[in-house]
This record gives sequence, structure tokens and C-alpha cells, in this order.
Amino acid sequence: MISKALALEVLNAALATGGDYAEIYVEETTPESFMLENGKVESVGSPQGYGCGLRILNGLRSVYGYTSDLSKKSLLALAEKLSASYEGERKITVEKIGNGRYKKHSFVETHLRDVPAEEKIDYLREISQIISGVDPRIVRVQTGLTCAVKNIDLFVAEGPEATHFHNIEERSRLFMIAIAAGAEGFETYFNGPGTTAGWEFFTKTLDYKKLAKETGEKAVMMLTAKECPSGRYTVVIKNGWGGVLFHEACGHPLEASSTSKGLSVFSDSIGKPIASPCVSAWDDGTIENEWGTSDIDSEGVPTQKNELIRDGICVGFMVDRFSARRMDGIKANGTSRRQSYRYCPTSRMSNTYIAAGKDDPEDIIKDTPLGIYVANFGGGSVNPTTGEFNFSASEAYIIRDGKICEPVKGCTLIGTGQEVLMQIDRVGNDLALGQGNCGAASGSVPVNVGQPTIRLKEITVGGRGGKLE
Amino acid sequence: MNFAKFFELAKAKGIEESQLSFSKSNALSISLFRHEIENFSVNDSQSVIAAGVINGKFGSCRTEKLDKDTFPFLIDNILLAARLNEKEEVADIFPGSQKYHKKNVYNPKLAAVPANEKLALIQDIEKAIYAADKRVCDVEVGYSERESESGFYNSFGLKLKQKSNYFYIMAEVVMREGEATKTNYDMFLDSDLEAFDKDAFVKRVVEGAAKKFGADSIASKKYPTVIDRDVMADLIDYFLSSAIADEVQRHSSMLEGKLEQKIASSKLTIEEKPLTKNVFFSYFDGEGVATQNKVIVKNGVLKQYFYNRETAKKDNVESTGNGSWGGGKIGTSYGNIFVKPGKVSFDELIADIEDGVYITEVMGLGTGMNSTSGDFSCQAEGFRIVNGKVAEPLTLITLSGNLLKMLKDLKGFDSNAKMTLGSISIANARIKSMNIGGK
Repeated sequence: MISKALALEVLNAALATGGDYAEIYVEETTPESFMLENGKVESVGSPQGYGCGLRILNGLRSVYGYTSDLSKKSLLALAEKLSASYEGERKITVEKIGNGRYKKHSFVETHLRDVPAEEKIDYLREISQIISGVDPRIVRVQTGLTCAVKNIDLFVAEGPEATHFHNIEERSRLFMIAIAAGAEGFETYFNGPGTTAGWEFFTKTLDYKKLAKETGEKAVMMLTAKECPSGRYTVVIKNGWGGVLFHEACGHPLEASSTSKGLSVFSDSIGKPIASPCVSAWDDGTIENEWGTSDIDSEGVPTQKNELIRDGICVGFMVDRFSARRMDGIKANGTSRRQSYRYCPTSRMSNTYIAAGKDDPEDIIKDTPLGIYVANFGGGSVNPTTGEFNFSASEAYIIRDGKICEPVKGCTLIGTGQEVLMQIDRVGNDLALGQGNCGAASGSVPVNVGQPTIRLKEITVGGRGGKLE
Repeated sequence: MNFAKFFELAKAKGIEESQLSFSKSNALSISLFRHEIENFSVNDSQSVIAAGVINGKFGSCRTEKLDKDTFPFLIDNILLAARLNEKEEVADIFPGSQKYHKKNVYNPKLAAVPANEKLALIQDIEKAIYAADKRVCDVEVGYSERESESGFYNSFGLKLKQKSNYFYIMAEVVMREGEATKTNYDMFLDSDLEAFDKDAFVKRVVEGAAKKFGADSIASKKYPTVIDRDVMADLIDYFLSSAIADEVQRHSSMLEGKLEQKIASSKLTIEEKPLTKNVFFSYFDGEGVATQNKVIVKNGVLKQYFYNRETAKKDNVESTGNGSWGGGKIGTSYGNIFVKPGKVSFDELIADIEDGVYITEVMGLGTGMNSTSGDFSCQAEGFRIVNGKVAEPLTLITLSGNLLKMLKDLKGFDSNAKMTLGSISIANARIKSMNIGGK
């Protein structure tokens, strides 16, 4: 996309006024998407993304710019505009560009783009039919498949020898949405498995027929669900996507972008207990073929398995190069991410999960006389400074006498990250991951959330169903 | 680029009718953290979206890569998308409206102000925020400016162009008192720097955080509720998205079959006025249709759905000029929404509430809202209202209800309307009662 010779020229122009780090991120993304509405092709898209982001750091200052015009004139103009915000003498002259090395963590057998469009459409049509066939109350079914192939050239200069990384990221995701309608109103249920593997994931690894059936069944079931009670209750959260709670309440406040500035509730927590002793947690960008996996991060640092919490003690953060500058003796750990060249990268999660514990998930439910079982979340958000979070369940049930009973709708869990981590009193042995997109300062990035079945002793539940009896 | 060439190439490939829209923008943003410039960014970007119809089937494609291969790339992908398209309706390209109401909303004075003056402005704001309250421990202040140009062309010879610009200033303040930390965020949007009142802005953002100290939860029950205009704007946005004809036709809207019916309190009147001369002005939509001002809800009666050309055809009406691009197809969007404010002051609005709640912020509405049924439940914060006055702050409470029920229970608005970044102008609202979850 741009030659090494041009990259060298742009890096030197960027560093002319005293910058101590410069990085060029060039990207060409060719996504394809197929969307079906009630089994009929509604749209086929192939929006092409193309551009370059340039970042120059100087101590604790950062300047960033991007352009979708990759001509020499445009790139040098961008470097000049950005470097003009520093007023120093040149510290670094880049003389050559070497090649960066990294290990691959994702392996594609069959690229989605090599599968004929008709075959992908037939697959989506089959899923749509399974969902529609579940119940006549399903009034609308949306299915979709997206695949984005991101071709990245990254040039990083911190000294006379810059490093060039070339990386290709391929990510695909399946969407299935069922909307059921009845006298009670509408209910929507969603499933969206994603991968950095290829077509083989959708046809071989994933039990898509089962998932489709479940999507339809859950939408119908929620139609007649009663309103969730409100108050403070014991809550058991199912494995997999339930980990979005940890992601929001604890993952975000462990990102160096907030901890390094003292803006997180966990800023000064290294070595201190922040969770109940049964909790250990990781962020691991290297899990083979997972949705949140990458080979290198947006700054060319290889991804790694980062320990965040060990037996309740905070042991690490997700750290990007810029935030590391505010943190004594702490190095970037492969967690700097961005949605596209339009975003300045910062510390983000990849595959983040609570590690498996010892309890049998069935026992956890059996030992709960009265409470709420949350089987699926719609999503949630958190204020990293105060730690306050909220999550809304898309599927929840009442637990009575150790058994999962009637479904309830409109269930929201609210609290603070500090509180919820301490409230975990049981951790199951059934770790599973779920896929999502996480939106924050550097855009929307694909992430896995994950956890085993866990129990919270007591947490605030919001709903419209009065007291739980 | 020579767009005429695109239409020639498209025709040669058998695409009978086609259109192309071009957009170009450049932006500047600066932010400060602890007295230093933390981020400084300059961006420019461009993109082209093209669409065509072949054998009555629609196809489209978007790219940011503009070079000699752009037109063939767009055309190949339009052909592919049209071939696979299974929509039954016969598609066509819109030739053009009879009349367009073009206005000049570009403010050349904004771009002429040098970047260092804009930097100085936010440095001033930062200083004033620190000085306003001893408990302020961190401040993040940012300035962003965007200038954009768009063009719409089609194979019938239509050429439409628009240029606009705006800036916004945001501040987030963190305050500490003992162990408690409170944050507050505010922003200001305009295209004229002279419209910005620094002192009022600083006062609002600092006082907003200070008022939150000592917050506690409240007993769960129904309370007379006052909803802040920013929160109300988010809620009205969900209501309006149900008025999109596509949702109605797909049976997933709470407003299906409700045209000309009383669906809300008579205090509710909503207009869409895209031709208002402000930063959200637009005189043509994503299909090249001339936009028009219109009433959506009048005194609680639903008067109008939002249509693009395709959904209008299904209902045998004209497009309302609300077509927009999204996800590789023509969708529907709206902007410059004006919800009619009331005549009373905020104090008068709450004067007769003995024991109520004033909601100033909600979190998690995106996932807490069932946009087809209107049922919602979300985390909220705000204040108690005791004997007609705003009293102690509330935190970690939940607000829940049903959107339509809430609008039926609307008792009125105060007169303090404000335009949000989401282009909805709305005032603070009083609701008869709502479910508040707490202790």
C-alpha cells in the first residue's frame, strides 16, 4: 500500500520537531456482508475501507491524524501538520526499516471470500428457516454473515531502525435475530458467534442448527415471561456471554488508559485484593482462532496472555505504549487496539475471562434457595472512574429451592465493579467464551468475554415486577 | 474525480440507472488532560457510495479508496449485489425532486480561527474548572471541529451539493471528597464560536458533579418523575425510531396501525424540521429526494411515519425525504427534531411535587430498551424532589417503564429546550409517575 521508502520519509518528517516515537498504520479492509430478512436476501455489501493513521508521541504528549489519500503529498502534509504541534529539535533520524516478527494465532482453512456467495446465502437461508419453523409467533427473522479481511502495514519508529509489520486479520461473524410477537408485545433474541478461523468454523465447529432453534425458542419463551422483580438478590450467572459483566465492571477499569491517569477505581490496586479469593482473571489475545485474537496489537507488540487477577489479588493491567509512559517500570503488553486507521490506538481487552473454578455449576444452583439466574445478557456499560455499571439480561429466570423456574424479562443488574468482584462466592468449572464488539475511545473492536458459571451473593436487580417472593 | 465517467461506465455494463454520492470531510480535535495537550488530531477522509439498478434489482457499494480502479470496483460490486438481491419490489433510481430548498449553513469564520486560539479557549476552560471548586481533581476538556462536503449525482443529470461545519466543546470533570468520586460531563455544539458562553458552561459542568456528593439510593416505588432533557432526548429517539415506516411494515414497531390515533398526552408535539438553518440542516436525503419540514406527533396524535422511497411505495405514499445509507442499503433516518417545549420554568414544573424523583442521567438504555415493545429498564441517577424543591442526590437507582405509557403520562415540559448532539431539541419533562428501583 505504501513503500518502505515512502514510510521512511514520512517517519522522518513526523519526527522532525522532537517526537520520540512515530507510527504509521496503513489499512485496506475488504469486508463482505450478506443480510437476509425472513430468508430473502435483503442486501449484499462490500464496503471498502482504506487509509492511514499517523501518530507521533513526545513524552506524555500524543498527536494523531489520518487520511484516506495515501499519496506521498498527502502523507507528508499530514506528517508536517502533526509535527508542527511540537516545537523541539529532532531527536531521532530513522535510517532504515527492518522487518518485525511475530507468531500467528489464527489459522484459516477456507477463506470466506473463496466460498461462492450462493453457498453462504443458502447457509443463512437454512438458519432462517430453522428459526421461523420454531413457532408461528416468530414474525421476523434476520440472519447475516459478515467477513472482514484487514490488510495492515505498520511502521514503528523509536530509534534509527524502524520496524515494519505486515499482518492480515480475517474475522467473520454470524448473526441470527428472532423477533416474536404475541398479545404481550414483542421479544427479540440474538445470537452472534464469531471467529478468526474460516468457513470451516461455521460449517464444522459450530452447531448452527441447535443455535438457530434456541434463538427462536428463547424469543418465544420471553414473550410470556413475567416482569423481573427488583431489590437485592443472590444472582447466578451462566457461563460464556455472562462474562460481559466482568468485561464491563472489571475489565474496563483495568485498562491502562484509565489506570495510568488515576481515573480508574483500580488505579492503585496492584498487589491488593480487588476480588473475592475464588476469582482469577486473564486477558489473552493469543487463544487460537478466537474472535478477540490477533497476532500483534495496533502498535506492533505481539499479543500475550496477561494475568489480571490471581486469587482475588490485582496483578496486572492491559497496557499500551502511551499509557506505559505514565507507569513506572511497566511495559506495553500487546493490548493496544483500534477499530481502524481512523482511531488512535489505546489499551483494550481481547479475550477476557474469569478462570474456571472448582464448583459443579449444577451444585451452585442447587445451593441457591431463592434468587435470579441470568442466562444471557443484552449488554451493558460502565463508568471507569466510579466503577458503576449496569447490565440488562436478555434471558433470566427465578431460582426457587435450588431449581431454575419461571423466566423473567426486563432484568437489569446494577452495582459497582469493586462490589461485584467481592460478591462472587462460587465459581464453576465450566469456562466458556462469548463474542461481542466493545465500543470505547479507540472505536469498536471484536472481543471475547468469558467466565464459568458464577454466583454473586447479593446484587441490586432492577425490574418492574415488585418484590421477589 | 470525474463522476460523469462513472455513469458512462455503468451504462456500458448494463446498469440502466445509477447514482453516486461523494463525501469529504476534514476535522481537527484537541484535548487537554492535567494542563497538557493530551491529544491533537487532524484528519481528512473521503468516500464514495454508488448504487445502480439492473433488471429492477438494486445493488450498491461503498469505498474509501479513490484511484483509477474505483469506478470498475464499484460497478462490479453493484452488479454482484443486484444479482443476489431477492427483494420482490421493483427498484428504480430517483430522477430528482421538482424543487430543492438549498441554504448556506457553512460558517467560513470558524475555519478562519487559528488552531492555537481554539487551544487557548480550552486551556481557559480547564483553568476555570479547576478554579471553580477545590474538590476538582481531574479535568478533561476537548475541542472538536468538522467540516464536510457532500455531493449527489445520478444518471438523470441531477447534481446536488452541500457544505457544512460545526464545532463542539466537551468537558468531563472528576471530583473527590473523602472516599467518594463523582464525574460529570457536558458539551456545547454550534458553528459559531461567539455563541459559546464559557462561564455558563464551566458553572454547569462543575456544579453538576458537586451536586452528586452524598448520593444514596431510595426506596423502590412509583414516584412522580421529572426527566432531564438530555435523557428525554434519548427516550424520544427510541420513540421516533418506531415511527420509521420500515419498522412498521415489518410488524416490529409499537406504532403500527396507530396513525391518526392518540398515542401520547396532548402535551406532546414533535416536528422534524430538516430545513432549519443550523448545523443539522440538510436539503436532500440519501436518495436525492428534497427534504421537508413536517409534523410527526400533534397534541399526542401520531400524524406521520418516516419514509424512504421504497417504504413509501409499499404504503402508496410519497417519500418524506428520510432516505439514508446504512449497511449497504437505503435505510431511513431523521434529524433536526423539535419537541414543543412548555411555558413554565423548571421550578414551576416541579413546584407541586411533594415526594418525587428528578432523573438526570441514565446508563445502559441501549441494552435496557426493548425498542419493539417500548419496555425499558436502566440504571439511573438524579435527585429526590421534596416539597417542590430539588433535594438530595440519588445514585444506583433504576428507572423502568414503557415508553408509550410514559408519553401518555406526560404532564408537560418546561421552557428550557436544548438541541442535543443527536439533533433533538427538547426540554425537561414531567411524568405523572414512574417505577424507580432502589433499596
